[in-house]
Amino acid sequence: MRDWSPIMGLPLWVWLFVIPSLIAVLCLIAGPRLERPLRPLWRVLDALYFASGVLAAFFMVTILTLIVAQMVARWTGYALPGTTEFAGYAMAATSFFALCHALTRGAHIRVSIILNANRFLKRWLDVFAVFGAAVIATYFARYAIKANIFSEMLNDRTQGQDQIPEWVVTLFSLPSRALGDWGQAMAESSGELVYTPVWIPQLAMSIGTILLAIALWDTLYRMLVTGVNPIVSEVVE
Amino acid sequence: MNEAYATIVFLFVLFTLLGSSIWIGLALMGVAWVGMELFTVRPAGDAMITTIWTGASSWTLTALPLFIWMGEILYRTRLSQDMFRGLAPWMRWLPGGLLHTNIAGCTIFAAVSGSSAATLTTVGKMSIPELRKRGYPEYMIVGTLAGAATLGLMIPPSLTLIVYGVSINESIIKLFMAGIFPGLVLAALFMSYIVCWHYLRPNERPPPEPSMSLGEMIAESRFLIPVLMLVFAVIGSMYFGWATATEAAAVGVLGSLTLAAFQRSLTTSAFFESLMGATRTSAMIALILMGAAFLSLSMGFTGLPRALAAWIDNMQLSPITLIAALTLFYIVLGMFLDGISSVVLTMAIVEPMIRQAGIDVIWFGIFIVVVVEMAQVTPPIGFNLFVLQGMTRHEIGYISKTAIPMVGLMLLMVVILVAFPELATWLPENIRQ
Repeated sequence: MRDWSPIMGLPLWVWLFVIPSLIAVLCLIAGPRLERPLRPLWRVLDALYFASGVLAAFFMVTILTLIVAQMVARWTGYALPGTTEFAGYAMAATSFFALCHALTRGAHIRVSIILNANRFLKRWLDVFAVFGAAVIATYFARYAIKANIFSEMLNDRTQGQDQIPEWVVTLFSLPSRALGDWGQAMAESSGELVYTPVWIPQLAMSIGTILLAIALWDTLYRMLVTGVNPIVSEVVE
Repeated sequence: MNEAYATIVFLFVLFTLLGSSIWIGLALMGVAWVGMELFTVRPAGDAMITTIWTGASSWTLTALPLFIWMGEILYRTRLSQDMFRGLAPWMRWLPGGLLHTNIAGCTIFAAVSGSSAATLTTVGKMSIPELRKRGYPEYMIVGTLAGAATLGLMIPPSLTLIVYGVSINESIIKLFMAGIFPGLVLAALFMSYIVCWHYLRPNERPPPEPSMSLGEMIAESRFLIPVLMLVFAVIGSMYFGWATATEAAAVGVLGSLTLAAFQRSLTTSAFFESLMGATRTSAMIALILMGAAFLSLSMGFTGLPRALAAWIDNMQLSPITLIAALTLFYIVLGMFLDGISSVVLTMAIVEPMIRQAGIDVIWFGIFIVVVVEMAQVTPPIGFNLFVLQGMTRHEIGYISKTAIPMVGLMLLMVVILVAFPELATWLPENIRQ
């Protein structure tokens, strides 16, 4: 597999970088006229970022639960193998799922000293920064997906002691099967414990980075259409 | 020659991307990518993901979101009122009076929170209006608060120390223990500044507080007992080796939830706000760590850190000269970057340097925290200044002027640390394993 091999007749980099940039140019030319038709889409995306943030928060509670369970198990003399690995996966899921939510709420930090110098820079340097960030995030997401696919292809397993039931693995692989086979696949897989395939926790990285890239392109389009950056940071009250 | 070229390229791209206000974590990724493409033949993208995944799914890092969450919960409880009420009766007798509640409040809150901004807001929310009402001079209220809030970075739990420990693979518990005494010494320095003000500017003293009986004093300070118990549970469990840093953080979260439930001060919506707020802050730091991990890898491939370390070694600098140079370097860097970013950004370069020079890495962690603390209160970019601006409606220039004596005291702290390194290294060497 080459990194940028063509998909539907066009190299992958055209799909990932050129077409989104062309849409940005379109947004710039069309300006505020696009605001009304795009508004419903923006609402859907906002809900999506928030949902991703909620999922991240859920994984943070999972970290807490796992660690408390491990402590209780240690005091009572039980062994819970693999808890540290699971906590690590939950940590990754918390970080990656929250990326887009943190972005849209202005939690990520940037050096804004030149940005705030004058009104021209405030607008156009900001456009450049969001564009640059979107390109980097898209590159990040592209390789996260590639690593994820490779982990699955090479059947890469955990280095630790963590195991999950086989049917969980099947459950996560359902989207890659035909709908009609789902029942059979689930029926065939047992409750036997297998070492965690790395691609399952890595799904959080793929999804989280894709959402971050989408959120950045989305921010760019909104800025070009409305003329203001939609990201308002909530400074601690 | 090649190294000089690489250095210039790295610095140029770094300043361009950071200066054009790209989010710091993503900017670091961009710099790292340029470095990989220019100076190595390795596939940049694949190496990047391997490093980032290993770092992001690490067990050590799990202490970070939990400590952030703990601070977020306490920030939303009635703790600020309780702290002022509990501390005021004891501080009124000291020369300098209730101004000391700023320092003592920040010290206590720093022991349950790892962030300087949270410490500042929690303490300032109550102490600024109360101290103004009693007629303390504005510059003393603002200045002492700006300085003391930086203790949040030093006294454990400290987010900066977690990030430092993760970047150089050192024990977070040791770093936390190392921060305790220097933190207390720094607090004592701030308090002596207030005492000096009391004697040097007698005409600025507000009228003395009405007297209060010992019984009343104890009754008022009963509100402080739960939070002090929480501090001892978190720090004590690490000191006695009962819990790892992450486990202590989990104890802290459960403890602060219990405390909030006990006070009936945490509503359901405040609970969810604390959860989402902690998630965002931890994602913010995680993104910077991801970018920094890739940048360290990229710089490592170019051989730049080793070359620089060897170069510094060749100059035969004494450790004191090296520390002085690094202090200056971090102060300048801190004018533009926040503490965590400056730590992760420089560790790839600085770590081999200090190891080569034979400087203790635990001690260096405390040193770097004091130095980035200064960055919090120095213009043009100082996070505490922004927060204080929002709270007091003063100009950044005015606030930073009031904080200048505090910056001086922090510099003095660097000197004290160099003169008495045991201050930082004694406790971590004596923890129960």
